[in-house]
Amino acid sequence: MKHLPKHLRPRWRYVVVGLESWPDADLSRGPFQREVWYAAQNLLGDPGSADADLTVVRFRFEAGTGAAIVRVRRGELDRGRAALACVDAVDGHPVGVRVRGVSGTIRAGEESYLGDAGGFTDERTVEHTVADESGPGRRRRDGAVDVSTPSGYVGATDRDTSRPGRSDPVDDADSDGH
Amino acid sequence: MTGSDAGDEGDRSPYEAAYAHPDGDATAARLAQTARRYGYDGLVIRTREADFDPDALRERYDVDVVPAVEVVADEPSSASGAVGNFRPDFPLVLVRGGTDALNRFAVEQDRVDVLAAPLSGDGGFNHVLAKAAATHGTRVEFDLGPALRESGGTRVRALGGLRKLREIVGHYDAPYVVSARPTSHLELRSSRELVALGSELGFDESWLRAGLAEWGRLAARNRERLSAEFISPGVRVDRCEEDDR
Repeated sequence: MKHLPKHLRPRWRYVVVGLESWPDADLSRGPFQREVWYAAQNLLGDPGSADADLTVVRFRFEAGTGAAIVRVRRGELDRGRAALACVDAVDGHPVGVRVRGVSGTIRAGEESYLGDAGGFTDERTVEHTVADESGPGRRRRDGAVDVSTPSGYVGATDRDTSRPGRSDPVDDADSDGH
Repeated sequence: MTGSDAGDEGDRSPYEAAYAHPDGDATAARLAQTARRYGYDGLVIRTREADFDPDALRERYDVDVVPAVEVVADEPSSASGAVGNFRPDFPLVLVRGGTDALNRFAVEQDRVDVLAAPLSGDGGFNHVLAKAAATHGTRVEFDLGPALRESGGTRVRALGGLRKLREIVGHYDAPYVVSARPTSHLELRSSRELVALGSELGFDESWLRAGLAEWGRLAARNRERLSAEFISPGVRVDRCEEDDR
């Protein structure tokens, strides 16, 4: 079909969304899109959901952190934001969702808000102890540590975890960038 | 429905009130780190057993971390004992509602700062409690958690409860706070998202922001009251005092 004339084409805003989950979560675009639609439909209803027209146009997720770009019709931004806030789990994995920024084009969104998207530059999974419980833990560059304890994951930071058998955690304390 | 303090645009730093490990799945430090990234100026830790140093966290993450205790009791009598025990040590004392008796107890106590989750369980809220809350300065909590994390009938009932609460609290101009009651860093949502969600539920934007900022106001007031110069509202050593109850 012939393209619409420019003044009749819908205008979009691109919402850059930061995602976070536990290290074992393996999220992909399809399930995330499904949850976004669910959330929109449940919160805004069918008409509102159709108006906002939330579509995941970029998705990246690796080892517990990631980012997505979600398209939303201009003028429906706040409703789209509200729907995104209601995405609390994908495929049963709890997710943290945060709108990092909003752009008029995908590219501007990528350039402005996707800079630090990759998560684990520090990939080591080693024994950690948090609040008297120990388990394999993974430390992120920003100092966040997710420890898999017998009673489930605990989100911590390098300041409230310790590494058994290491009296001087030198390389744990140096990069505190946040 | 604009609250009485909605005109005060200067003091609008959003606070969130979260559960830390062992009640939740993240330590206070992780919550503070995430809260900073999400744009919060403050974070109330509702978990009494959580082990953390508020000053160190404030220094490190630039977030005002407020230690609090959320009293969970079956009966007003046991809640009363707990409130008395913790009041001298914590800037914020919350009582979790959930039954009519507990809700009533919380709003009739000057010593209680916040009635948390009044509509959880089978607790109810009415005009009598709203008037008492206004008289005694107990903040009524608006829990956005179910709107974010529940679905189906549970969510519909929770939203219905929020609406009812909003109408009653608004009518009597009772004090209130707003929170998503997160139990981990993954359940945190930024204040902007909460405001966007609240707008969909019929809340006024500035009213919600005031409810998020109220935690901070309350903490500041109580810290001053816990400090040595304070004697009673309106009476203090040395400096003059503006009482805002």
